[in-house]
Amino acid sequence: MKAILILENGSCYEGISIGTAGEKIGEVVLDTAVVGYQEMMTDPANAGKILVLTYPLIGNYGIASKFNESGKCWLNALVIKEASRIYSNYQAEGSFDDFLKKEDVLSIGGADTRTLAVEIRDGGEMLGIVSTQSTRKEDLLKKVKAAAVSYKKDYIKDISIKKPMKIAGSSSCADIAVLDLGMPNSFIKQLKTLGCNLTLLPYNTSTEDILKTGADGLIISSGPENDIALPQISQTVKTLIGKIPMLGISTGHEVIAMALGAKLKRLKIGHHGVNYPAKSPTSFKGEITAQNHSFIVDEASLKDREEIAITLRNLNDDSVEEMESKSLKFISCQYYPVSPGFDEVNSIFTRFLKLIKPRFAVKKRVVSKNSEVEHAKA
Amino acid sequence: MPKRKDIHKILIIGSGPIIIGQACEFDYSGSQACKALREEGYFTILVNSNPATIMTDPNMADVTYIEPLTVEAVTEIIKKERPDAILPTLGGQTGLNLAFFLMKKGILKKYDVESIGAGVSAISRAEDRELFKKAMQEIGIGVPKSGIARNIEEGIKIGLDIGFPLILRPAYTLGGSGGSIAYNREELEASLANGLEISPVHQILVERSVMGWKEIEFEVMRDCVDNVIMITSMENVDPMGIHTGDSIVVAPSQTLTAEEYTKFVNLSKKIIRKIGITGGGANIQFAQNPDNGEIVIIEVNPRLSRSSALASKATGFPIARVATKLAIGLTLPEVLNEVTGMTTSFFEPTVDYCVFKICRFTFEKFPGTARVLNTSMKAVGEAMSIGRTFREALQKGIRSIETRRFGFGSDGRDKFDDSSLKAPSEEMIGEIKERIRVPSDDRLFYIRYGIKIGLTNNEIYELSKIDRWFIDNLREIVELEEEVKKYRNVKKDDEVKLPEELLLKTKSFGFSDVQLAFLLNSTENNVRTTRKNSKITPSYKLVDTCGGEFKAKRPYYYSTYETKDESKPSNKKKVLILGGGPNRIGQGIEFDYCCCHASYALKEEGIESIMINCNPETVSTDYDTSDKLYFEPLTVEDVMNIVDIENPIGAIVQFGGQTPLNISGALSKAGLNILGTSPDSIDIAEDRKRFQQMLKKLKLKQPENGTATSYEEAQKVAERIGYPVVVRPSFVLGGRAMEIVYDEKGLADYMAKAVEASPERPILIDKFLEDAIEVDVDAIADGETCVIGGILEHIEEAGIHSGDSAMVLPPHTLGKDTIETIKKNTYAMAMELKVKGLMNVQYAVKNNIVYILEVNPRASRTIPFVSKAVGVQLAKLATKIMLGKTLKELGFTKEKTINFVAVKESVFPFIRFPGVDAILGPEMKSTGEVMGLDTTFGAAYAKSQIAAGQNLPTKGSVFISVKNQDKRNMLFVAKKLADLGFRIMATSGTADALKSSDIDVQVLPKLHEGRPNILDLIKDNKVSMIINTPSGKATKEDELKIRSHAILYNVPLITTVSGAQASVNGIENLIKNKAVSVKSLQEYHENIKK
Repeated sequence: MKAILILENGSCYEGISIGTAGEKIGEVVLDTAVVGYQEMMTDPANAGKILVLTYPLIGNYGIASKFNESGKCWLNALVIKEASRIYSNYQAEGSFDDFLKKEDVLSIGGADTRTLAVEIRDGGEMLGIVSTQSTRKEDLLKKVKAAAVSYKKDYIKDISIKKPMKIAGSSSCADIAVLDLGMPNSFIKQLKTLGCNLTLLPYNTSTEDILKTGADGLIISSGPENDIALPQISQTVKTLIGKIPMLGISTGHEVIAMALGAKLKRLKIGHHGVNYPAKSPTSFKGEITAQNHSFIVDEASLKDREEIAITLRNLNDDSVEEMESKSLKFISCQYYPVSPGFDEVNSIFTRFLKLIKPRFAVKKRVVSKNSEVEHAKA
Repeated sequence: MPKRKDIHKILIIGSGPIIIGQACEFDYSGSQACKALREEGYFTILVNSNPATIMTDPNMADVTYIEPLTVEAVTEIIKKERPDAILPTLGGQTGLNLAFFLMKKGILKKYDVESIGAGVSAISRAEDRELFKKAMQEIGIGVPKSGIARNIEEGIKIGLDIGFPLILRPAYTLGGSGGSIAYNREELEASLANGLEISPVHQILVERSVMGWKEIEFEVMRDCVDNVIMITSMENVDPMGIHTGDSIVVAPSQTLTAEEYTKFVNLSKKIIRKIGITGGGANIQFAQNPDNGEIVIIEVNPRLSRSSALASKATGFPIARVATKLAIGLTLPEVLNEVTGMTTSFFEPTVDYCVFKICRFTFEKFPGTARVLNTSMKAVGEAMSIGRTFREALQKGIRSIETRRFGFGSDGRDKFDDSSLKAPSEEMIGEIKERIRVPSDDRLFYIRYGIKIGLTNNEIYELSKIDRWFIDNLREIVELEEEVKKYRNVKKDDEVKLPEELLLKTKSFGFSDVQLAFLLNSTENNVRTTRKNSKITPSYKLVDTCGGEFKAKRPYYYSTYETKDESKPSNKKKVLILGGGPNRIGQGIEFDYCCCHASYALKEEGIESIMINCNPETVSTDYDTSDKLYFEPLTVEDVMNIVDIENPIGAIVQFGGQTPLNISGALSKAGLNILGTSPDSIDIAEDRKRFQQMLKKLKLKQPENGTATSYEEAQKVAERIGYPVVVRPSFVLGGRAMEIVYDEKGLADYMAKAVEASPERPILIDKFLEDAIEVDVDAIADGETCVIGGILEHIEEAGIHSGDSAMVLPPHTLGKDTIETIKKNTYAMAMELKVKGLMNVQYAVKNNIVYILEVNPRASRTIPFVSKAVGVQLAKLATKIMLGKTLKELGFTKEKTINFVAVKESVFPFIRFPGVDAILGPEMKSTGEVMGLDTTFGAAYAKSQIAAGQNLPTKGSVFISVKNQDKRNMLFVAKKLADLGFRIMATSGTADALKSSDIDVQVLPKLHEGRPNILDLIKDNKVSMIINTPSGKATKEDELKIRSHAILYNVPLITTVSGAQASVNGIENLIKNKAVSVKSLQEYHENIKK
């Protein structure tokens, strides 16, 4: 069966249908990472997107449930060059093909993803429609153009946990509340590694209910950007700033910025991949970060907030990657604080614990194996 | 951080001659380093003994030394130039070891020279097995259970404790030299003996075998503020047990999960920190158990390596350039990514294609050695190919390697055809399984047969331990092949009936037109026409470091079959340069040097240069050498596809060696304009009959000769001209399958073998001029004027391949008249052939008569050597001639005379091929060359020997054993050696001859006569040089043993009389002049001008 992607601008990419049949509209977004297809597909932040993987060979190592970032695949469609016929890895529990079927993913294989990537790069991220039906191209184009007029995303309400959920950690470690806009499992795992006691909260939890949890700190998680639930969430967060130490991750970072009165800007082509350099504005030291966002904080709109320090910037476009305020007690990062390695923790989580209470941080230092800084000194 | 201001002068160490395990990747890295340092305003001093490199071009560094890479010579250079720092990480293992020994001997400290790039402690931590193991354990990284042995007893104890099979790795050797696998105690003992000897520090690592595990490599870089980036991962298709330099490798890794990948990245970052690299890169090799994910580290190279060159070319990230910038204190965010032109080097490259590396072997050159791959590297070259799928890259890779295969089988050259594979005999099944199990250079094709006889992915995996993912991809190719065959023509010239959709699919699977022609019973031409009529032509995509995320300023290109072409051909005047493809014996860095010069010349002339090449080790495939680079196989199809898109005014084929020459006829026929000397002139030079007619016309002499297509014909020719004769197939480079035949039986043997060496082409038979002096002439001509570049006299007598012979420039024994005759002959032939560009002539001089052996109207292997000696960039001038300039316009009308002596010496890979006799002959065996420069022949020759690793002794015992006819000539040599204080040893025959001339000789028993014999003395380190001339065609077993022991125990070995004479000359010089004198190329050239 053939499958086709038509962009808002009329460009057309053909391939074969390798998932389930159907027709869906979504933002066409590239990801340049070479590995991690399962993680990307199950990352709730990708909800509703038509995800294009620029690396051409997908499915080689199969699928294993432990790599899921959430309970399901949230994409509207997937566009790739080639799905591997077999999989080969001792951890694999099933094939990529089965995963597409089980997760009901509308998918195109055999597409010229390179040409598509270049077009998106030059033309910017836009809407597209993927269809396996033999509809006329003109009709599909009409549909996607109509959708573009008032395109809205409304996924957070489905993604977010429905009732608060506790995950017990170590009694000597902090209690952390997580406002779940689409918190990936791998971040939860890092917090568990640190020994944190977690309470996952629905996205629409009120200020009072959040404070009632008695948590030592609050994490505003990553999740879909430009979602209609976000303005309300930032209103809630606004009332919490200064009252509870906060960590904003990716979309959570954008939420904190909005709560502080900042505006967001859309990038022509978002940052989606694992190779983005972020550098401290005051030194030559930086980090290579994973990212998945199409919006950034408009720095000009934050200018008069002197209590906020920008601690990392994107080296390519100078956008804000990380900000921090000692007085307002928050840290937020635009990038994804992924684990640097098996059983290890991204330093932003440890910094957050330190912000909450130094005693946790001390405790954490022992647990954390993120020894980059120590080694640098050695 | 800003670059360092406390250092100004930096010494860069090159890697010396091309050897197995160390090829032109270090020319690529050294050249990038020179450029990077000069860009930053540092004064650069370069030392390398290899003249065939771009890095030793006098304009690359401020001061260039072509001197031996020894502690003594480099100390002299340091003394003279007083550099502030030494950059040892770009010269391979040679450069690193040299820096290490300079440090150990206190030279660096004495002259206050800092080692940058990798500090001395970092080098020790990575190279010293014990320190390395300890360092890895400290950061919790698994190493295979192992122990270090300093003697055989210790090694056996460790080995028995760990259990078999065991891997043995001698310390401080390169390319896994001396590495081996032991399955039992006997093998362990043998491996220990060999390995301990080979290791310069006499240490050997005895290690748990992780054979069959996945072999994964990562390239990492770190700067002085601790920014660490990952360049790429690489996965060896061949599992552990085969040296990575011999393995098929893909980038990026294909079978690692994201979690595993992250884990490897994390470990790599920890490792580079622990090793302590603070401004440079490292290659890290891991083994991973495919059944449970267990990871152990195999090794770390704290320097640029073959793998880093591959990683560089695979991603577009210029590792050497960036590593150099980091070495002088810059940080990654400060170094521009020149490929995108808008981002910095602080990022991790990503790719949207699959890169495939495959190796080139030359087992055919070393009969008698087992055609088996193991932990000791044997490949002499490699090719890289790029495709959007593994299958496409693989098939392109196979045709890039130029073993006359056009893809994954089905090209008419398969050992088993489909009908026999359909009903395989038991014996055949057995053979196929065995060849899948035992790794060799053609294992891939046996996997194809295995698939065809019905082996499952699992069965093939169990035999080969090659990951099932790769095997299944191979299976997909085979399945498509079956699909295609359904459309087979009845008659060869029938129309191609393959449906368009299927045709496109086969092309996207990497099938070549040649393969399709074979499968469809059609012709390459018909397939091509059909394809073009259906508009199925390749689209060219970019290597841009970023998966298309940023617009690329200086990308390079590869072909694939997809929807949009991104090559954006310009409207400028442009010229194609066809590169040399993978290195092999007979065709290596010399030709890459010439191709680069072609590109530089085009740039100077304002013409767009377009390079086509597939060798990732080279300077020619560097992103900034040419205006445009196509990383493609050098076949007619692949080249013509580029021609169709680019529309060049012509192509340069005379610089890339035999590779472009072999296809130039077909390219010309397809409509490509060949620049320079006309294809017709090339044909005159190659075609025996036409060549003879030309010589007759010019009244020039050649040895009597004839051609033959059968044994009977050959016999007749040989009888007519008289034995001995030189026999060889036509159209080969490097003396492939060339032999001197002394009698009828020898001829019969040869003809039986040679049919396989060259089926379509006739056998050439020449009278062999015994004891003649051979001479090589490199000249340049524009159709009107011809100027000699250099006349090189061979040191070894006729019969030794010119690529293997030592040579001296200017000639040191030829008379004035002879030289004049040689010049006149050269001019006459250049005019007659209307040579436009370079020409190489080989002469033999016997009894003052000058014979012409052959003429090649193209760049020869000696062009870089001559260019360096006389200070004229001949290849560059030749390019300009091809573009229409005259020598007069270029200001080169008179040959240069030099007032010093340049000696070229070859280096040989015998140590890699146990069991092969280390003698020289008409078949070329050397992998590389060195240059010795000095004021006298003796001194220059001595330097060339030292540079080539022949440590000419100044005292001790010399063993002499020569054939009867050499005995008289040997008297002078022996006498001289005795006078110089050497003790002479010989077996009875030679001893008698020497004694009769009053030379004091110690008589040694022949090997079977008693002990201690010469072998014992070699082992006991009691012989400092061996002179042994082979006693005829059939090798005597004793001689073979003596020679192979000499190689194994690194005792200088001389196998010709003339070589012995020259060596004595050199030794005399070494004894007289204790210190090495060093002089830069710029100083030498300055004198030429005056």
